[in-house]
Amino acid sequence: MTVRERLRSGAGAVARSGVRARLRSLAAGLLVLAAVAASWTGWSWYAAAHDGPAARATVRDQVLAAGEQAVQNMNTLDHADLDRGLDLWESSTTGDLHAQLVQGRADFEKQVAQAKTVTTARILAGAVTELDEPAGRAAVLIAVRITVQAPQAQPAAKDSRMLGELTRTASGWKLSALGQAPMGSTAGSATPTAPAAAPGTAAPGSAATPSPTGR
Amino acid sequence: MSARTGRAAVTGVAAVAVAVVLLLAGAGLLLAAHHERSTADTANRALTDRAATGRVIAEVGDALDRLFSYSATEGAGDRAAAAGLLTGPAAEQYRSLTEQLRGWVGDQQLTLTTRVADAGVVRLTADRAELLVLLDQSAERAGGPPTVTAAQLAVTARLEAGRWLIDDLKSL
Repeated sequence: MTVRERLRSGAGAVARSGVRARLRSLAAGLLVLAAVAASWTGWSWYAAAHDGPAARATVRDQVLAAGEQAVQNMNTLDHADLDRGLDLWESSTTGDLHAQLVQGRADFEKQVAQAKTVTTARILAGAVTELDEPAGRAAVLIAVRITVQAPQAQPAAKDSRMLGELTRTASGWKLSALGQAPMGSTAGSATPTAPAAAPGTAAPGSAATPSPTGR
Repeated sequence: MSARTGRAAVTGVAAVAVAVVLLLAGAGLLLAAHHERSTADTANRALTDRAATGRVIAEVGDALDRLFSYSATEGAGDRAAAAGLLTGPAAEQYRSLTEQLRGWVGDQQLTLTTRVADAGVVRLTADRAELLVLLDQSAERAGGPPTVTAAQLAVTARLEAGRWLIDDLKSL
């Protein structure tokens, strides 16, 4: 008797319906299992994406990376490539600081073209000091070594400590204020109020600028 | 094949297909969750744990204020107390530094005062912290005006017996 013949027989039909029932319950079990697995993994993903500390840690690291890059950009300028340098300044900033840069750009271009300086910066260390994620604001503390090369002069390196305020924009975190951390002030705290006072000092003239006293 | 068995087969295939889709979706979600967690540096609790972040800044700042303030009139006991704020390589770094300073401070009747201007936590775990600290150091000769200089330190601190002790100091 071949398999086919046996299947055609009555005994075969009974066996077949048994197999079918087993298959059906197996499929149903598999379905339930898959549904449970899917909902568990779905929950797990949701928890990871909305986990307070994890989400906050990601934002903190984004803020630090953006802050360090922006401070580096704002302290880098080559008189031979002013347009690109100043475009980078503008794209690294937002708010008041950005408006000041745009407004002072023409004068500043003239100054740097005259001084023929090449300014480069290296980030020594940085930390996020404040993070208000819902408001989209953060503050960073960055130590940076700025080297200014003027024609026919030794490059002058200076370590600078900067306080930056960052604001979240549609295209990422950008500097909205930047200034030197105040030194030797008699006031007790130099911390959160400093960036607010910074725009003046961070306007073209302080960051990658040949300082007026230096000439 | 009868219509009944045909329908049953279709239902079976459909059930298996749905199960496969659900399993695939699950695997995708699991990957996404893992990605979410692994890209976030959750081991670093700087700012994600505000209380711990504030505490390490306060304790390390206080220790630095005390460690780097000297006066000519200061006794050995003060130095020893300051040394209790240190552990690991920082203890040796500090000892050699104070030996240099002692003669100098005594000869010139100097008072050195250190104030933490600002500090941020770069990395924080349960028992280890890395900080960036801005110091204002003021040196005052007896009767003269103070001169203020800025210093930037990379500080590593270790939590020992419930207190943050300074483990390593690096001037930037």
